[in-house]
Amino acid sequence: MRFEDFTVFLAALAFVWPFLGAVGVCLAPTERSRDVALWMAGLGCALAVAVFVFPATGGASAGWEDDPVQRAGRVMLALGLWVTVLEQGVFREKLLRSVPHVSTALAGLGCVAAQAAIGLGILFLAMAWGVFVFMRPAGQALAGWQIGRTAGVGLFLALAGLTLPPHGLTTGLVLACGLVIMTGLPPFCIPARDGVGALLLVPFAGAALLLAMRLRAYGGGGFEMALVVAGLVSVWTTACLPGKARTPEDRGRAFRGFPVALALMAVGVGADVAALLLLCGWCLAGGSRAGQGWAARALACFPPGAPFVGCLLMLSVLVDWSWELALLAIAGVLLGIARAWPDTSAHTMLGMGEQGLGFGDIWPDDRAGRLAFVVLAGMGFLVPLAMMLGAF
Amino acid sequence: MTLAAVLAALLALGVVARGVGFLPAMGCVDALAMLVSGQPPLAQGGAVLAVLLGVAPSLFLSRYQADTTPEGQQAALPPFLALGLMVLLLLAGSRVQAGQFPAGLCIGVAGLVSVACRRGMVWQWAGLLTCAQGVLLSAVMAQQVMAFVAGVLGGLVVLALGALCAHRVLPRRVRSQPRGKKAQ
Repeated sequence: MRFEDFTVFLAALAFVWPFLGAVGVCLAPTERSRDVALWMAGLGCALAVAVFVFPATGGASAGWEDDPVQRAGRVMLALGLWVTVLEQGVFREKLLRSVPHVSTALAGLGCVAAQAAIGLGILFLAMAWGVFVFMRPAGQALAGWQIGRTAGVGLFLALAGLTLPPHGLTTGLVLACGLVIMTGLPPFCIPARDGVGALLLVPFAGAALLLAMRLRAYGGGGFEMALVVAGLVSVWTTACLPGKARTPEDRGRAFRGFPVALALMAVGVGADVAALLLLCGWCLAGGSRAGQGWAARALACFPPGAPFVGCLLMLSVLVDWSWELALLAIAGVLLGIARAWPDTSAHTMLGMGEQGLGFGDIWPDDRAGRLAFVVLAGMGFLVPLAMMLGAF
Repeated sequence: MTLAAVLAALLALGVVARGVGFLPAMGCVDALAMLVSGQPPLAQGGAVLAVLLGVAPSLFLSRYQADTTPEGQQAALPPFLALGLMVLLLLAGSRVQAGQFPAGLCIGVAGLVSVACRRGMVWQWAGLLTCAQGVLLSAVMAQQVMAFVAGVLGGLVVLALGALCAHRVLPRRVRSQPRGKKAQ
């Protein structure tokens, strides 16, 4: 087998692997399902890294989008799946076990499709599977419907944008609105990522970010400006958090969309590597982990870690784009951190209080948290290094 | 611009204002607009799908009792919001595409308003199906095959998920007893 054929085989295997993982966790006995899921997700990560290091040559001519940033984005999605599986307990229901694997697989496929419309169609399938599984237990039909209608509106709006002529103002606005709703960015839609909803929506939002990078050429100036404005509005919404939101959970929830907002701004200004780093933060610290101290710090772009480096990188590019918007963004980020981390919740959320910040407050207690923390810190070094070496 | 396209947009406003009752009429007029404006293979497929997405929910819901979720005090606002967005779209579209009525987008916006502003699950389902019909009309008029295929997939997914949710949420309609037969 020639090396070119091997890389194509590797790429194909990386796409198929999460589906195999989904089948594996469904067929495995309940008590062993978590081990199977861990192995399959871990091997999926290794495959995604291998595809990033050894890309399939001629991918664009073969009908898929073979961009280094997109490949790295799929690595982030695979890492997010691994951490999710590691964090979750054993699900009694077979189909529910398959949701993170299927949604990650379809999100990866949707991002690699030759045309963005096909990618959106694939994301419809991801949404359909997730919502169908969420609706099945008694009393959960409306909760599942709420997730489905939000994702559906975003997908339909993005599709409507693709039917309009490229580079138009209306096209850019409609496309951007669709993608923003797909990411579930507050205040534009109701966040519904608590509980099992996160199994679907974390990879779904990641795929929306990766698709937004590809659609920048189609959307034109209006699209870029709309993404930057949407991100800025979201950051300032966190900054202007009402005083009645006093509980640590509310404040943690307010920061949940922070990396997505900054990543959308990064996509808008063309800083794809910064968006990649923020996507890493979203996949590893987002979802149901957002309530934990280390994850909240990562989401709020505290050093060290990928979101912190991504935020700095995005702001450096934004300054060249428009220094007024850069000032607004810096002020929003700083004000958000200052207002959303008050003294009352500092002990639990930030891990600091009168005693000061200890090592035990930063280092997570659980295995999933430790893995995510190490990967976040590692990506904060590796991705800029790879950028300087010319990988992106 | 065709009369059918304008009528379809008006009927989409009817869906926002009155709910799923306007969906069959909108589906039929949408199908007519596709047949008048589009090219044969795509337009015919789109017309069949538009009729299916318009008529199937009403037939399905006829077996269930009405969704009685209260709409709150601002129930009259959504149609005006949808109309305002449509006018804005027309003004924005007239600057770049002289004289072309973006009917598909107007229908999609009306559906979006229905999903965002209405509380009832059936009303939101009708709104999502209106969005799907708008995307289909837009794709047929722009001759975008891939967007059309994705829109068909999305429409069918929403149709199935909405039916599943309605089946779980709404009580079945009780059949009326024949006259002269007393209940035991």
